[in-house]
Amino acid sequence: MYLKLSYEIRDKYLRKDMLPTIFCPGCGIGSVLQYTLRAIDELGWSKDEVVWVSGIGCSSRVPGFVDFDGLHTTHGRALAFATGIKMARPDLKVIAFMGDGDTAAIGGNHFIHAIRRNLDVTVILINNFTYGMTGGQVAPTTLKGLRGTTAPYGSFENPFDIAELAVAAGANYVARWTVFNYLQGINSIKKALQKKGFSLVEFLSPCPISFGRRNRMKTAPELIKWYNKITVPISKAKKMSPEELEGKIIIGEFVDRDRPSLDEEYEEYKKRAKKMMGWE
Amino acid sequence: MRYPFPVGKSDFIQGDEAIARAAILAGCRFYAGYPITPASEIFEAMALYMPLVDGVSIQMEDELASIAAIIGASWVGAKAMTATSGPGFSLMMENLGYAIMTETPIVVVDVQRSGPSTGQPTLAAQGDVMQAIWGTHGDHSLIVLTPATVQEAFDMTIRAFNLAEKYRTPVILLTDAEVGHMRERVNIPNPEDIELVYRKLPANEEEAKYPFGDIHGDLIPPMPIFGKGYRTYVTGLTHDEKGRPKTVDAEIHHKLIERIVNKIEKNKKDIIDYETFELDDAEVAIVSYGIVARSAIRAVKMLRGEGIKAGLLKLNVVWPFDFEMIEKIAEQVHAIYVPEMNLGQLYHLVKEGANGKARVELIPKIGGEVHTPQEIVKAVKRCEKCI
Amino acid sequence: MQVRFAGIGGQGVVLAGVILGEAAAIEGLNVVQTQDYSSASRGGHSIADVIISKDPIYDLIVTKADVLVALAQLGYNTTKGSLKEDGLLIVDTDLVKPDREFIGAPFTRLAEETTGIALTVNMVALGYLVAKTGVVKKESVEEAIRRRVPKGTEGINLKAFRVGYEEGLK
Repeated sequence: MYLKLSYEIRDKYLRKDMLPTIFCPGCGIGSVLQYTLRAIDELGWSKDEVVWVSGIGCSSRVPGFVDFDGLHTTHGRALAFATGIKMARPDLKVIAFMGDGDTAAIGGNHFIHAIRRNLDVTVILINNFTYGMTGGQVAPTTLKGLRGTTAPYGSFENPFDIAELAVAAGANYVARWTVFNYLQGINSIKKALQKKGFSLVEFLSPCPISFGRRNRMKTAPELIKWYNKITVPISKAKKMSPEELEGKIIIGEFVDRDRPSLDEEYEEYKKRAKKMMGWE
Repeated sequence: MRYPFPVGKSDFIQGDEAIARAAILAGCRFYAGYPITPASEIFEAMALYMPLVDGVSIQMEDELASIAAIIGASWVGAKAMTATSGPGFSLMMENLGYAIMTETPIVVVDVQRSGPSTGQPTLAAQGDVMQAIWGTHGDHSLIVLTPATVQEAFDMTIRAFNLAEKYRTPVILLTDAEVGHMRERVNIPNPEDIELVYRKLPANEEEAKYPFGDIHGDLIPPMPIFGKGYRTYVTGLTHDEKGRPKTVDAEIHHKLIERIVNKIEKNKKDIIDYETFELDDAEVAIVSYGIVARSAIRAVKMLRGEGIKAGLLKLNVVWPFDFEMIEKIAEQVHAIYVPEMNLGQLYHLVKEGANGKARVELIPKIGGEVHTPQEIVKAVKRCEKCI
Repeated sequence: MQVRFAGIGGQGVVLAGVILGEAAAIEGLNVVQTQDYSSASRGGHSIADVIISKDPIYDLIVTKADVLVALAQLGYNTTKGSLKEDGLLIVDTDLVKPDREFIGAPFTRLAEETTGIALTVNMVALGYLVAKTGVVKKESVEEAIRRRVPKGTEGINLKAFRVGYEEGLK
């Protein structure tokens, strides 16, 4: 695989007047953004045929930095807005750039229903186990015992596994990587973008400032080392017992299937309506 | 163009049904909703019609999502609508603010029922007036229309779309369970006789660079809809003329919000719509809107029959509000009565408008029933005696 | 003219009101039709109001009914106060025992005998009302029935309406 220089990607896809980004040193969002742009670049997609949608949070600022049509909406609602965009203009491709709190907490209901409908959208999910922008509160993804400002003695709740949730709700394509999985990440995004129906690529992404500092991992390298410790490739996980998987996070491709997407179903529905009413 | 209902003739239909048909005739091709009494009939009609006219009707997971979806659809160029009632309207406040901040044309129908909370789901009220105007947080303005008949529900739905498109703003059609569920004869015009307004689009690439800039001097920026190659960025954060977030600059915030408020305020004369009845020589005035205005007309006739020179101002738009007109009326009459199906909402605006120049009296009624003309007459007479 | 239909849920009271309203609308008259029912879909009281006039109508519900059509005792008891003193009371004589002057016929029985379906009682009563009052033309109601009843049931509904109409002419 030939990789273009980062500068080339930057100059081609980012809005210069919006830079610098708001991201902290060591943050993983920029990397995931780069993977996403590389995937679009390799697919040869036009900037005019993709709409980016986001909610609220650090990752949700991404549509502002890229030179595409972009809707930066309200907290958790990105996929509800995306439903309107996609259903009113099915020819446009929609990317939702979301965070873990945005997706699994305030937007949890929109998330599962967008998947249930099999909305043709690609969700790029930044999972940093925390609310980074608001200063490091715990998220529905925070692993038990890890600290945030709203659970200063360590989270006492069970976390969501967002990828597994997406699989159960019926997504067509689901993968999870760490930002360290550079090539797998780009390849998964490429697959996800090309997939009709709902696709999700989740990235474990370092937030050293709001999350790492409170959990004895002050730098991105420390967080990446921790990812290496807690992640298990899906092929290996299949051979492990539930006890062995306790506290581990599985990475890899979770599902790849081709159920009809919402806009395809609606096209059929329109035909059925016209037939039933004797219009055709 | 083929329509799934008769056009160019009159029909006998419910208010909710009239709203749905008018929306289709206004060019609405995207509807997202969530079932709720007494607005569900609008959704059901849209669900029946939309697939036939190549539009979209979709049931979302809640009202938060319904209004979000129509905003998304509007940004790709669709005329879009949702309808709800009090409990759902409360949920919509969040993204109503987003639509105001991003200057997105949408139509939101609130078929008012008695609240607060679940309240009296099948019964009418006018308890959402202040919420429709001020419900979402922050400084803002928008347009609120109040039909009193099924014909008005039809006509005002078309007007709601036209105003939304013209001023790039959300418009609330504030109706109620009574208008929504009653059947009346409605004239449905031929589609070619309906005047439709479409949002102003950028004339060129240069104009498209300022999706939030007053580039024509009319306070209304052209809307560079998505998928046309303009590559527009839209955010609910305070933004500059190009749409770039500028969250700590007081001057930019001031400029943006002032324009959003002023594009409604400075066009008040075009937006405001009202009717008067026997007001010219009136000594007491009734100011009314929506369903109650029907009883108010009867009340005026009855009062005149008893020698009290009463007149009516029927407001078809409750926001923007013509405070100056109320003051003029207050200079003419000695008392203004405001019958409302709430414990006093528009009353406060009228009182502010009257500016102390006439007594302003509230005639409140809650519980689900519309004021009878007799009740209004009785209240007016009681007060007139006590002077 | 203010007409009020009163019965119990499931008797098609609202549909009778809608069809009368539609017939008036067909004749170019102004008309308002509203309804009031308990939240139970079946068995509670059910009221349909129709106000017909050549002039604009400001009223919403019947306050002083010119005609009250009562198809069940519960409906009658709930609404009898709204009928004018000189108003016309029409009842199903098998099912309603009024405490004032009335006219009527065993509508439900007539419905069962002519169509085999008691549910068409609303059309029988409507036919009787139209014959007695002449508030709208017979043909207008027949057109309204064709428009409003479920497809495939036009025949039996028209039959029931005509039976009621004939009964009213007697």
